[in-house]
Amino acid sequence: MSTKLSSTERIKTDSKGLRGTLKESLLDEHTGALREDDQVLIKFHGMYQQDNRDRREERAAKKLDRLYSYMIRLRLPGGFLTPEQWIAVHEIAGQHTTGVIKITTRQTIQLHGILKAKIKPTIKAFNEAILDSIAACGDVNRNVVAAAYPSQSAVHRTVHQLADKISAYLKPKTSAYYEIWLDEEKIIEKEETDELYEDRYLPRKFKVAIAVPPNNDVDVYTNDVGLIAIVEAGEIKGYNIAIGGGMGSTHGNSATYPRLATPIGFVDNEEKALKAVYEIATIQRDYGNRSDRKLSRLKYTVDQYGLDFFCDELERRMGFALETTKEVIFTTRADEYGWQQTENGTWTYTLFTENGRLLDEGDVQLKTAIYEVAQTGKANIRFTCHQNLSLCDIALPDKPVIEALLKQYGAIAHTEQASVVRKQAMACVAFNTCPLALAEAQRYMPALISSIEQLLHQYALDDEEIIMRMTGCPNGCARPYAAEIGFVGTAYGRYNVYLGADRAGTRLNKLYRESQDEAAILALLDNLFKQYSEQRLPGEAFGDFSLRAAWV
Amino acid sequence: MITTERNTVLQQLVSGASHDELVWISGYLSGLLGQQPNRAVLPHSASLNITLAYGTETGNSKALAHKLAALGKRQKHKMKVVALDQYKPTQLAGEALFIAVVSTQGDGDPPIAAQRFFDYLIQEQPDLAGLQFAVLALGDSSYPRFCQAGIDLDQLLRQNKATRVQKPLLCDTDYESAAIAWFDQLLTGLGDPDGQSVPPMLANAPAGPAKKVYAGGITRHINLNDRGSDKATYHIEIAAPGIAYQPGDALALVPENPATLVEDLLALTGTYATQEVSYRGQQRPVYTLLQKELNISWLPERVVAAYAAIVQQEIPETKIGLKDLLKIYPLKAPAQFEEVLQVLEPMAPRQYSIASSPAAHPGEIHLTVALDTFSVAGEVRHGLCSHYLSLQEDSVLSFRIHTNNRFRLPPENKDMIMIGPGTGIAPFRAFLNERDADGAIGRNWLFFGDRNFTTDFLYQTEIQSWLETGLLSRFNAAFSRDQEEKIYVQHRMEEHGAELYKWLGEGAYLYICGARVPMAADVEATLLRIIARESGESTEAAQQFLEQLETEGRYLKDVY
Ligand SMILES: Cc1cc2nc3c(=O)[nH]c(=O)nc-3n(C[C@H](O)[C@H](O)[C@H](O)COP(=O)(O)OP(=O)(O)OC[C@H]3O[C@@H](n4cnc5c(N)ncnc54)[C@H](O)[C@@H]3O)c2cc1C
Ligand SMILES: Cc1cc2nc3c(=O)[nH]c(=O)nc-3n(C[C@H](O)[C@H](O)[C@H](O)COP(=O)(O)O)c2cc1C
Ligand code: SF4
Repeated sequence: MSTKLSSTERIKTDSKGLRGTLKESLLDEHTGALREDDQVLIKFHGMYQQDNRDRREERAAKKLDRLYSYMIRLRLPGGFLTPEQWIAVHEIAGQHTTGVIKITTRQTIQLHGILKAKIKPTIKAFNEAILDSIAACGDVNRNVVAAAYPSQSAVHRTVHQLADKISAYLKPKTSAYYEIWLDEEKIIEKEETDELYEDRYLPRKFKVAIAVPPNNDVDVYTNDVGLIAIVEAGEIKGYNIAIGGGMGSTHGNSATYPRLATPIGFVDNEEKALKAVYEIATIQRDYGNRSDRKLSRLKYTVDQYGLDFFCDELERRMGFALETTKEVIFTTRADEYGWQQTENGTWTYTLFTENGRLLDEGDVQLKTAIYEVAQTGKANIRFTCHQNLSLCDIALPDKPVIEALLKQYGAIAHTEQASVVRKQAMACVAFNTCPLALAEAQRYMPALISSIEQLLHQYALDDEEIIMRMTGCPNGCARPYAAEIGFVGTAYGRYNVYLGADRAGTRLNKLYRESQDEAAILALLDNLFKQYSEQRLPGEAFGDFSLRAAWV
Repeated sequence: MITTERNTVLQQLVSGASHDELVWISGYLSGLLGQQPNRAVLPHSASLNITLAYGTETGNSKALAHKLAALGKRQKHKMKVVALDQYKPTQLAGEALFIAVVSTQGDGDPPIAAQRFFDYLIQEQPDLAGLQFAVLALGDSSYPRFCQAGIDLDQLLRQNKATRVQKPLLCDTDYESAAIAWFDQLLTGLGDPDGQSVPPMLANAPAGPAKKVYAGGITRHINLNDRGSDKATYHIEIAAPGIAYQPGDALALVPENPATLVEDLLALTGTYATQEVSYRGQQRPVYTLLQKELNISWLPERVVAAYAAIVQQEIPETKIGLKDLLKIYPLKAPAQFEEVLQVLEPMAPRQYSIASSPAAHPGEIHLTVALDTFSVAGEVRHGLCSHYLSLQEDSVLSFRIHTNNRFRLPPENKDMIMIGPGTGIAPFRAFLNERDADGAIGRNWLFFGDRNFTTDFLYQTEIQSWLETGLLSRFNAAFSRDQEEKIYVQHRMEEHGAELYKWLGEGAYLYICGARVPMAADVEATLLRIIARESGESTEAAQQFLEQLETEGRYLKDVY
């Protein structure tokens, strides 16, 4: 802590409540980029400056600057939208973006390719639909995710309300967003004070998830703070609290590592859960590493100071003690595709969107399908942490209409025909927009899966729900370290291969082979699948077998 | 006034004549006229009442008129300077001595601003008996119809019975000293309408070094517009070691006609490519003649008329390409093609502002060439020279340097405001690089505009580094098609009007380069509005302010 603060820290404290020179940056006519510090600040407003990396060289030869554009991500606790909001999102996406609506791994959506001049109109349009992007990125509490698993609707309603409450409670207090993007008057005199974030915000991003066992669809242990609902007789009795999860690591930096959250105790009501999340954030604010951003996530703070210290400090700040952690059993992380009836009798249809890319392609017109369904006003929309989309709260009489629309635009066939592994798989954005990407992910994974499907078929493993995830760099946005087979890009066309995580997401995988190209990946998988098909115990998952076979 | 028959013969006689021939013909004709009674009698050494009327496109004639007026005043003559578009032709009758300074544009046409005056003389045929006049013609001998507008004006005035006091001077690009000598001669009363007293070499301003033809290989050729743009603008670098030019100058070159077009013409007329033909007294293969020398892509009306006479058909008076002409109004016999060749005119050179600076890019000339695109009956076509240049990735070009002393950098400590949308940015790239290399301390403010920010931002990264190093103090850009309502440079000027006016107040020079229509006119109108608004004065006062700037040489335009 004695070392000097990272440059981002100065940018935050000098930012006058996240304002910086964003207004001036927007007026710079010579560039599609923002001024340097503003590029950091805009994240706190839910946006990233990106550039089309495929086009850099050619544009440079043309004496043109990089093709900058912005990604905007919504703050959408629990991943919920009304049909009216969906229509708005659809129309906004059609105007100033690439047109693709991307469902993220954190239950929200993002739009890409927005030019600097179009940011304000985009945000204004969102605002009219009562949507915002506040704190969707940046060193703050990010979008709060909550179990989407539809068949437990009674507790789900509670859990989603809690997600909303956490999101509101941990939202930055500055009105910069409204001034900069919505041209609202500045509330000058009393500069708003923010007791949680002060003027420094958090050292790093801060992610909160709420899970409802036995489904760990939110990958609860990969979050900084995980709340696990303890349900008895259909009622939530309280929450287990787990801290210090996070996927990010850096190649060649052994001080960095992926980590699953450690359960530290139980609280018996929602108010206490809220208080706990809040104070965990204040401890991280005060103790987190602010000099090296690679070591500033909560997981490193926890490991540096120790769990005992952390829990003592937490109890002191909360003013009450944590109870002993309750036992929980997770059995799966899978989304329930297709039609599901919920407890209150309404219906949900969960459809498969590969890597969350919602678009119209050939016969599969997912974007149109959802738009048409939204036009009926008869279904709400919820995103899952596997980048899928659920149409929910559908009354029985409305089911046929919606089914017909989904059929008409190929959504049902698309969902039913996708293989089991494809439906479990995830890949991050990577090329061509992510500046950190070392290798392809979302653009490449679908083709790789096609090859893997053939191998699986060869060994009659078609129905195995093996969880595979790929990212373009070790930052781990698609949670590859919690996959039974994880691919993490090391260089263009090369991936580290990880094996051995469990199906429910309670155990991390381990490095199996380094920097493999496609041929090597397929060869090694061929061998692994062969052994697995021959030697597995009944019902034994691939990840578990990987350990037993001592591959890792 | 003149019968169609005579006119056709006359046109045949003069069209395509070399300027030496023209001079001779014009001398011959004035000689004939001189034998007629209306002959000038200039009072010796008296104070004269002189009206200098200029018709200009790029300002040379205007500047020259003012210069001559100053000379005349020094010799105690009463001088009045007026633009031909402001001049009421009905006043002609009351003029004592009328001197017209007029340039030639297009295919030998008068400047747009003078067209109305020409039309008046042609249509009204006023009786100008008693009017004494002389014509000073500005032009460029690399154009096929050298000083044609001046020649026409001289003839029109005489046809309307006005009295010429001195032979017209046909000025080439390096005209100033010759023009002054001509004017002096006129003032000292030595003017002799018979033409004897103006030595022939004086009648044509001597061809200066600017007429030299150079050859230079293309070393770089980049389309500056990104994929997805509906424009193509080429940055072209030419090796030019030892070629002297200054920022503000242009490069002039004659393009080649596309081989396919030439082949089509030969096929249409059943001519062999190697067939030797004679054109203006020289023998060469018809292929070379068509490809490298003649204007065949877009014929002026007078050529179409001459063609109609050959094929003896009624052809509407309109511009048209030779290929279409041959298709729609075929020759009566293949042999007529040689006759047709004789009425065709040489290709005119095209100018491109030089975008490089001798100091920053020694031994190089850079151009910024926009591919000219238009559509004919729904079919996309391209302008001849810009299309030719868009295809020359590594060939050797022959070109001339077109000096433009009216578009030069300000003194090194003066501020500079540059308005250069589209290819209008070219000379400013030269200016800025030159100022950078020279360490000039004046501030620089650039306005640029084009269609779309992402695809059409010419020289974006260079502009960014000029901003970074502080070479540019201010920069504004307008992209017209990025939003529903069109935004142009003049809108940005308007937004920053107060600051712009302040710069002018502090002595800044203001430059405009780019498309004449509609850009230059809109920009000027905006400037007037800004000046009126910021000064709180009337439009007339703003007009005067701008004229004052122009007189001080602080308001400079290079528009086309
Ligand atoms: C001082 C000066 C500086 C200049 N600087 C630049 C510069 O920096 N960059 C630049 O790009 N340009 C510049 N120009 C313009 C340039 O000289 C040319 O005028 C321009 O490139 C178009 O020439 P072209 O031969 O391609 O088109 P042309 O063939 O001359 O055609 C011009 C127009 O004629 C019409 N036309 C021609 N053929 C046909 C046909 N067959 N059918 C129907 N219509 C037809 C079309 O309307 C067409 O747009 C400058 C001009 C001047 C005078
Ligand atoms: C597009 C264009 C066409 C021209 N055509 C001719 C021409 O046909 N004959 C000629 O003698 N000069 C021609 N010139 C040269 C001009 O007459 C010459 O540059 C003159 O100095 C311009 O004077 P001004 O600035 O008063 O208009 C042409 C110039 C341009 C830019
Ligand atoms: S994992 Fe790496 S490459 Fe993929 S989106 Fe995240 S930062 Fe980019």
